[in-house]
Amino acid sequence: MAQINERGSTHVYHVNRLSKDMMDEMISRCIYEQPAYCNAACPLKLDTKAMLKAVAEGDYKKALSLYEKASPFVHILSSGCDAPCEAKCKLCERGEGVAIKDIEKAVAQYGVRSKSGGVFRMKKKKTVALFGSGLFCLFLAGELERKAYPITVFCEEADLESFLAAETGFLSPEAFAAELSRLKGMDIQFSFGSKLDREFFLEKRPGFDVVCASKAAALRFFPEAVCDEALMVYPEEKLVMGLEGRVLDCAFAAKRAALSVDRLAQKLDPGNSRGEEGATETRLYTSLEEVQDSVRVPSGREGYTREQAVEEARRCIQCHCDECKKGCAYLEHYKKYPALLGREIFNNTQIIMGDHQLNKPMNSCSLCGQCKVTCPNGFDMAEVCHLARQNMVSTDKMPLAPHEFALLDMLFSNDEAFLCRPQPGFEQCRYVFFPGCQAAAIAPETVKAAYLDLCSRLDGGVALMLGCCGAICDWAGRVEMLDTVTEFIDRQLAALGNPIVIAGCPSCKKQLSAHEGLKIKGIWDVLCEIGLPEGAQGLDRPAALHDSCGARGDQETQKAIRRIAGLLGCRLVETPYSGDRSPCCGYGGLTAYANRELAKEMTEKCLDRSDAPYISYCMACRDRFAREGRESRHILELVYGTDAGAPPDISQKRYNRLTLKNDLLFNIWGEEASNMEPDYKLEFTGEALKIMDDRMILKSDVIGVMDELRQTGEAIFDAETGLLIARRRIGNVTFWVKYTETEDGGYLVHRAYSHRMNIVLRK
Amino acid sequence: MQDKNYYTIDPEGKLKCMKCGVALEKGKAKFMYLDNGFPVELPVCPQCGFVYVPEELALGKVLSVEKALEDK
Ligand code: SF4
Ligand code: SF4
Ligand SMILES: [Zn+2]
Repeated sequence: MAQINERGSTHVYHVNRLSKDMMDEMISRCIYEQPAYCNAACPLKLDTKAMLKAVAEGDYKKALSLYEKASPFVHILSSGCDAPCEAKCKLCERGEGVAIKDIEKAVAQYGVRSKSGGVFRMKKKKTVALFGSGLFCLFLAGELERKAYPITVFCEEADLESFLAAETGFLSPEAFAAELSRLKGMDIQFSFGSKLDREFFLEKRPGFDVVCASKAAALRFFPEAVCDEALMVYPEEKLVMGLEGRVLDCAFAAKRAALSVDRLAQKLDPGNSRGEEGATETRLYTSLEEVQDSVRVPSGREGYTREQAVEEARRCIQCHCDECKKGCAYLEHYKKYPALLGREIFNNTQIIMGDHQLNKPMNSCSLCGQCKVTCPNGFDMAEVCHLARQNMVSTDKMPLAPHEFALLDMLFSNDEAFLCRPQPGFEQCRYVFFPGCQAAAIAPETVKAAYLDLCSRLDGGVALMLGCCGAICDWAGRVEMLDTVTEFIDRQLAALGNPIVIAGCPSCKKQLSAHEGLKIKGIWDVLCEIGLPEGAQGLDRPAALHDSCGARGDQETQKAIRRIAGLLGCRLVETPYSGDRSPCCGYGGLTAYANRELAKEMTEKCLDRSDAPYISYCMACRDRFAREGRESRHILELVYGTDAGAPPDISQKRYNRLTLKNDLLFNIWGEEASNMEPDYKLEFTGEALKIMDDRMILKSDVIGVMDELRQTGEAIFDAETGLLIARRRIGNVTFWVKYTETEDGGYLVHRAYSHRMNIVLRK
Repeated sequence: MQDKNYYTIDPEGKLKCMKCGVALEKGKAKFMYLDNGFPVELPVCPQCGFVYVPEELALGKVLSVEKALEDK
């Protein structure tokens, strides 16, 4: 009996380091974290998207607190800003972008400032002097006050009102009054009526750590002064110096200047460590698929009312990328955006000691590669999870439990259920039919019909190979095992004279294509060439075609299948996410074994696309759709007029493979089959069968237990239930069977269960 | 650690070893998994040493410990 070695120990203290560069490169393809278009366009780094969301929710208080991060003088800013964000709004591609500036005016008008902050803030030690007036000085004073510098403003104006009035003539009287009271509430020292000449400046300068001036004032102190506008500094005198310009120019210049003040206050070079400043380019992708014509909510002469602004803000689509999530149940399920999930999964492989909490997500991806197609940047979660699995296996940290059943099933396909024979009458063949393990397990009659058809209509001999292509161990991340399978298959093919492989399954085709020098086509290609057999017939109702994830990127296969569907007379309905964008049925990547609930969500997502019966060309898809109660047919069932019927349970899937092998051996090659039945009677209650399928316990496991029982006589009797109980350790698992004896010397199995821990006596 | 038992079940005479024809008794056993051991007290045949792991234990506590260890 096939066996796989369990991990030796949880006390393995080493990891295989993954290259950080490779990891970063893979993960940086996801642009989820990129700023929205409006945000990127704002040099003041206003989080416009968040502010609009707050307005859309009617939360003007929150909106104002977000808006004030751009500047405390929200009336000046909203009245005078040129709003480059509006031109960059994504909705402009569908007409009018969001009226951001008008909404900002509403925020300034209706927003209430929260009381917190400012009052108990500790003032900084370093002091700042600001000479002059005008927009730059006003904005800079606002920035520095927020940073809690003790500031003194020296201006020629006689009072606060005239200081504010300089360059703000565009404000309405109400807005002016509002800004005046804002300014009054700020902790700024004013020295009105100052004579701003060189002597005055030189006299005052020693009293401060940092000095700043409007452009006009700076030129009076130093007529030769030239401002480095990246820093807003006149370097020779370490003087922070302003500019004259429009509202946004001044506000942005004040931001740069405030940062220079920070650096100068610490006696550092203002040119270093400044981080990203100003407007940026964004790499964000946002689909406008669901957006119709974009038209603004009209505003009156007084601007938006409270309600109108809310209505307009609701038009904002909150730009973000979720192209991958829309099509994938896995990404939808884990709710994290792929770059973060991918990084966590990578980190999971690098844990030396302790819990690997991301094992389950790592093993739950179906490795189907859909995201690589749906993501505008080709982010590939499959690559991340596949590499991570291989990495965990190579350090003996990968749990065997989630994949053992599938791996043993593969070994079964390539051992007890394996069959490889040339067509009778041929020593070597031109072709070999490779239907795939799932086809033999789920639809043995269809496999048989297809093989007989190929034998009768192709020249040069068609050999048969029943087995598994190795996709199972590849998905499990077991590289060495895959090498063994590859060598095994190659040896068999060599013995047949290296025929052209005719694959019955797109995943097998993909997997086997990786073998060196192997020639392969799909049975669908052959059928397109030689035509359909007599009696081939499609469904009489419209049906949905589900593209197999194994055929992603394989246009030839997708086309051939559609051609066959056409020849069959099928009427196919359009479904979203077809062709290369098709989702996985939940079988791929061993999701169905590692995370059964999620695999079910994947199947449901596939079925959500249409109410029609489903036609597929991978047996695993056919099986999973049928399991969810949908009418589901493999295209070969239609071609050969077979019907695999209700989906088989896990034991039936093994039984089908063995009976198919024995049937063909006997009927085609005239070889006597080995007896598969035990030489005693074994029956199961309905409940036992259900429990076993649920717990992944095979009839052959139960037979193993009963065989042992008959040899050793070891069993116990439970007086409470009246049941006998026997057990056997098979491989890495202990199986327990609860049974009663029948009159004919056989057994009736009532229940079965298993555990992986080994139980031993202790002295 | 050796004296601590993670789990104890007393068969209270309700279980019988079919091979030896005697009642199972509370006895010392140990679960082993991935190089970790957990001492327990389970129904054991005093003659042949058959250790019985009840279904509830296998699907409950045993399963959850297995899962925790597998992700170590
Ligand atoms: S589609 Fe998904 S993976 Fe690609 S950029 Fe968008 S969020 Fe990231
Ligand atoms: S739709 Fe909203 S988030 Fe997108 S760019 Fe326009 S304002 Fe910004
Ligand atoms: Zn005994």
